[in-house]
Amino acid sequence: MFAFVAFSLKRAWQGFWRNSVMSLAATATMVLMLMLLSGLLILWTGLHSTLDYVQSEVQVVAYLNDSATAQDVAHLTSDLKAMPQVTTVDYVSKDEALRRFKERQPEVAGLVNSLPNNPLPASFEISLRDPGDYIDVATYLRNQGVVESVQDIQKTVSQMIAVINIVSTLGIVVMVIVGLTVLFIIVNTIRLAVVARSEEIEIMRLVGASDAFIRWPFIFEGAFVGLLGALITIGLLLLIQAPLANLLSGFFDVLPVQASAMVGQNVALIVLATGIGIGVVGSYVSVRSYLSR
Amino acid sequence: MARSRPTESAADGIPVLALRGVTKTYSNGKSALRDVTLSVPEGDFVFLVGPSGAGKSTLIRLLIREELATKGKVMLEGRDLAKLNRREVPQIRRRIGIVFQDFKLLPNKSVRDNVAFALEVTGTPRSRVAPAVDRVLRVVGLAAQADQRPAELSGGEQQRTAIARALVHDPRLFIADEPTGNLDPLISWEIIQLLLRINEMGVTVLMATHNADVVTALRKTVVGLEDGRVVRDETGAAYHRED
Repeated sequence: MFAFVAFSLKRAWQGFWRNSVMSLAATATMVLMLMLLSGLLILWTGLHSTLDYVQSEVQVVAYLNDSATAQDVAHLTSDLKAMPQVTTVDYVSKDEALRRFKERQPEVAGLVNSLPNNPLPASFEISLRDPGDYIDVATYLRNQGVVESVQDIQKTVSQMIAVINIVSTLGIVVMVIVGLTVLFIIVNTIRLAVVARSEEIEIMRLVGASDAFIRWPFIFEGAFVGLLGALITIGLLLLIQAPLANLLSGFFDVLPVQASAMVGQNVALIVLATGIGIGVVGSYVSVRSYLSR
Repeated sequence: MARSRPTESAADGIPVLALRGVTKTYSNGKSALRDVTLSVPEGDFVFLVGPSGAGKSTLIRLLIREELATKGKVMLEGRDLAKLNRREVPQIRRRIGIVFQDFKLLPNKSVRDNVAFALEVTGTPRSRVAPAVDRVLRVVGLAAQADQRPAELSGGEQQRTAIARALVHDPRLFIADEPTGNLDPLISWEIIQLLLRINEMGVTVLMATHNADVVTALRKTVVGLEDGRVVRDETGAAYHRED
């Protein structure tokens, strides 16, 4: 078994360098495709983290009458907490609202202090499990006597949901198309390398080599092309990471995209797995036609 | 060449090679072989003759199980080739040594490595490769050229390299498909002498050829194919029918 693996690895290594032009062409194709894939992956991850952020920020804010009693507040709090759409309920008292306002706008703090009484209403800040439930919760609140008004962000929310859906669907479609293109191109490139060695395969068959001895060197060679392509891709990504992050953070200034974590472990692992996987599948498919006789 | 393997087929009287009513029809409807029945006993030397397109190459492809017969049975050492499973095909090919007109050597490997290749790709332990290669290189007379590449060799030496590679598994049957087709007459005779020596060592030899001089001079078994049929099967015969 060890001898077989050693033989296959040795032959794979020799095979790679013997047809170095073809092997490097396959590797270059792999790098190109993996770059495209990781670009999409990064964009996808960035958009998702942005969307996650935006989604988590969708809150229902309900302002209360000044007449609301502590009992009213406690009642409404427990009612809201009992709703399945609601994750958290924060009560912001009039004093708390004033403190926050002063903190945010210290330059007008003096002006507010000069007022005879606190003009800011108490409010509920309610986080939702799903932004789609906004209307239900807002409608419920509007029907409560102690609620003065509910912040109207309905339009914003529904637009956001539409964007999320479009981006998700589009992302998946593009990913699938790119994935299939990668596989097709790589399979064909590896097939060329296999065809270049068809005489060798014929001799192996004639002298009685088993299918495994014919197949595995090619599979290892494909895996090697994939590994090399993936490592080059990861290297390139690390190289362009900093300038790209600057560009993106400029572009997505308003959104807290985690640009620094772009080429994270996940992208590296996916690139490695995809590279090696496509190399192996490509070799397997390419060499299979020679063994099926 | 020392032969350590017991020769079961000889003991049982089973022919090394037997074809019974073999027909090969390709998907385009063309019949390459029609009802061929043939038996080659252990240790025989058989010339397979006939014009181009008579079915010689198809017959050889059936023998090495590159293709399967449409009808009839092809038996090697008593085993029906159609009944082998995928794993057994490489095993049976190691019992057959084969050389072609175009040598089929790997140009970037030395003579020694070309021969060793046949052992390496069949999982032979490393320690047994070098002695086996040296042995067959001595048999074919190429010990001195072991480190040369095919391009540095004459045609005859290239064919002897191919013969060494075919011999390294100690085959029971040696198939030579037009082995002298690319060689001049003198070199051709050297190759024939080598095949005769291999036959003397107990290996059954089947040689497809157009070389009338060789066939007539040697007076071995001659099987003639024409249009896919066996038209003669005579021992001690000449290239052309003598009646």
